[in-house]
Amino acid sequence: MKEDILSVGIDIGTSTTQLVFSNIIIENKASIVSVPMISIVEKKVIYRSEIYFTPLLSLTEIDAIGVKKIIEGEYRKAGIRPEDVDTGAVIITGETARKENASEVLKSLSGFAGEFVVATAGPDLEGIIAGKGAGAGEFSKQKGTVVANLDIGGGTTNISVFKNGDVIDTACLDIGGRLIKIDKENSEVTYLSEKMKQLVERIGLKISVGSKLDKNELEKITNKMAEVLEEIVGIKEPSEELELLITNHDLRRDYEIEYLSFTGGVADCISNQPDNWFQFEDVGFLLGKSIKDSKLTKEKKTLKPAETIRATVVGAGSHTTDISGSTIDVSEDVLPIKNIPILKLTEEDEKLSFDEMSKVIADKLKWFGLEDNKQLVALAIKGLKSGSFKYIQELSNSIINGMEEIINSNAPLIVIAESDMAKVLGQTLKTQLNNKKDIVCIDSIKVSDGDYIDIGKPLAEGKVVPVIVKTLLFNY
Amino acid sequence: MVTERELKDLIEQVMSEMGVNEKDNEKQEEVLKAVLDKSSIDDEDILDITTIDLKKQLLVEGSENRDAYLKLKEYTPARVGISKAGARCKTQTLLRFRADHGVAMDAVFTYVSDDFLKDWNLLSVSTMCKDKDEYLTRPDLGRKFDDETIKLLKEECDMNAQVQIYISDGLSSTAIETNAKDTYDAIVQGLNSHGIKVGKPFFVKHGRVPAMDAIGEALNPEVVVVLIGERPGLATGESMSCYMAYKPTVGMPESNRTVVSNIHSGGTPAVEAGAHIADVIKTMLEQKASGLNLKL
Repeated sequence: MKEDILSVGIDIGTSTTQLVFSNIIIENKASIVSVPMISIVEKKVIYRSEIYFTPLLSLTEIDAIGVKKIIEGEYRKAGIRPEDVDTGAVIITGETARKENASEVLKSLSGFAGEFVVATAGPDLEGIIAGKGAGAGEFSKQKGTVVANLDIGGGTTNISVFKNGDVIDTACLDIGGRLIKIDKENSEVTYLSEKMKQLVERIGLKISVGSKLDKNELEKITNKMAEVLEEIVGIKEPSEELELLITNHDLRRDYEIEYLSFTGGVADCISNQPDNWFQFEDVGFLLGKSIKDSKLTKEKKTLKPAETIRATVVGAGSHTTDISGSTIDVSEDVLPIKNIPILKLTEEDEKLSFDEMSKVIADKLKWFGLEDNKQLVALAIKGLKSGSFKYIQELSNSIINGMEEIINSNAPLIVIAESDMAKVLGQTLKTQLNNKKDIVCIDSIKVSDGDYIDIGKPLAEGKVVPVIVKTLLFNY
Repeated sequence: MVTERELKDLIEQVMSEMGVNEKDNEKQEEVLKAVLDKSSIDDEDILDITTIDLKKQLLVEGSENRDAYLKLKEYTPARVGISKAGARCKTQTLLRFRADHGVAMDAVFTYVSDDFLKDWNLLSVSTMCKDKDEYLTRPDLGRKFDDETIKLLKEECDMNAQVQIYISDGLSSTAIETNAKDTYDAIVQGLNSHGIKVGKPFFVKHGRVPAMDAIGEALNPEVVVVLIGERPGLATGESMSCYMAYKPTVGMPESNRTVVSNIHSGGTPAVEAGAHIADVIKTMLEQKASGLNLKL
């Protein structure tokens, strides 16, 4: 018995805005004599939009109406109504995310695009989404290797490193094709980002806004960018320039990268040699050439990605949604719920006595500073793999005591376990609370402290819920 | 178990074969004492190889990519990545085979302990099988009860319950001792929260699955549920199944049964299975059907 989920991915990047629709197919893979085990069996992109330049009102403001028009037009062309969409993600990426009205634009779009479409951003997550969209994650799993995906867009380079299918590291750099803009007609530089100005100064180049277009000078700066990329993947010793261009944090480099894959707009500039180097009025092609000539393509194997410029949007459409374990306990009426912060117990916390665990939960809950009566927090635990009934009873009791503040509010009690135990834990919580509290208890989902989660309405006759985990900070 | 007499004979035989004087009683006693005195055997440092998780054990040396191999092994408890010594498997693999076979044999041939039944306060009855041999060779007797047992059940148990759950050894007593109580408690909690009443549980020794039909006819509950030990394999001896039927009758088609199998720590955890089973039972009561007639 298969079930189709229609998912949308919308990516509003520094330079381009795109949309895809994907079909995610779920199926109960368990035999008739087993407990159901529903999993995602196929993901396929069924519609790809044109690639638009992201409409901006000024250097600091996105043209919200313009973006909305693009999206509406693409929905019409695809013949899909917002209410048909089951899940998906709208993401504002790269430099665009730092524009003044970014969150407003996200909000207006996520409401329009479908009920369970999630607005999200953050450089680590972007990198992961692009890496998955590129197929780098899948490749690393199949080959049992380490792949770093470099999503080089207009404003930023988001790096995600996969080992055997798991994300093991992420980073973000201020390296991109449109950090320097050029006016073709007047042959002059029209824009330099702050970081580029600093980089120009450091290496003593003569590039500034209004300066004459000089391909050789510009190549020096794109060569430097390529060098910094060599540094971050461990081909070259880290320099001060790497330090300068890091947006949030560096890679750890305590592993050996075997393959590199390049995505984002600049990826297409690596293999293509243009007639006019400045046809897009930026340094994208030059950066592509610098990468091609660098050690990046020589000292590491290159993986040809499944997607290049569309990696992020395909990742957003096809790879953000996951599904929970198939034996869960949820009060359907409270779903969907979005942007719930995670309170994750550490392994040490879970080894404490149940009384102490309650206290730890209560303490950590205070960090969230629940102000109003409706604020949501999800408690995440690992849980014993095959705990006894007594263990479940005590765990449930400990959760209820620790989450007292939530119990006394109008918000539902949300518990996310890694081990297969959600149904019995949910039933136990309900029983101990005399069936008077809305409960969302799901399992087989791995989350970390600092993550946010969205939980959609149940699928497959209530057996599973779609889940999007938003990793805003990568754990160290 | 070897008796002391048999042991004595064995020692005598070995000693005579070694050319020791048959009549040297003193020496014989000495050897016997040493053999019987288990405390003199120090096996504390010997690892119980059945405790090694096969999914995490990779015996191949110098593999190209160990992490990836182990990642693949996560998907199956099958004996892959066991390397070889010439054309044969390694000693460790051979020993593990034999140990796992031993675990399976034990699961079949031991009985659910009296302590277990006493702790749970379960009434214990038996099918018409006299012993394990008859149980294994006469499946027909493993599904029947004599008149006396039926009478006892009718006296001691709840008649016309909404749901009657009972426990049966089946082919693995180990499975029952490991999982049955946790699953049972979870089922009952789930059913009670739906306001469904459950009859007093009991234990059936030497039980085959269709014994539940005879139980159904004797006690007349709406749904009969049996937690029963599965035929053990080399992967686990602890796997338990739950068979359910709506108003079962002797001779009904097998397709009227609903089953949840593979309940053990490496499969579906006992408590989680119980919670799921409670929901299945609820659906059975609503639809008044089971097996293939049940729409889940």
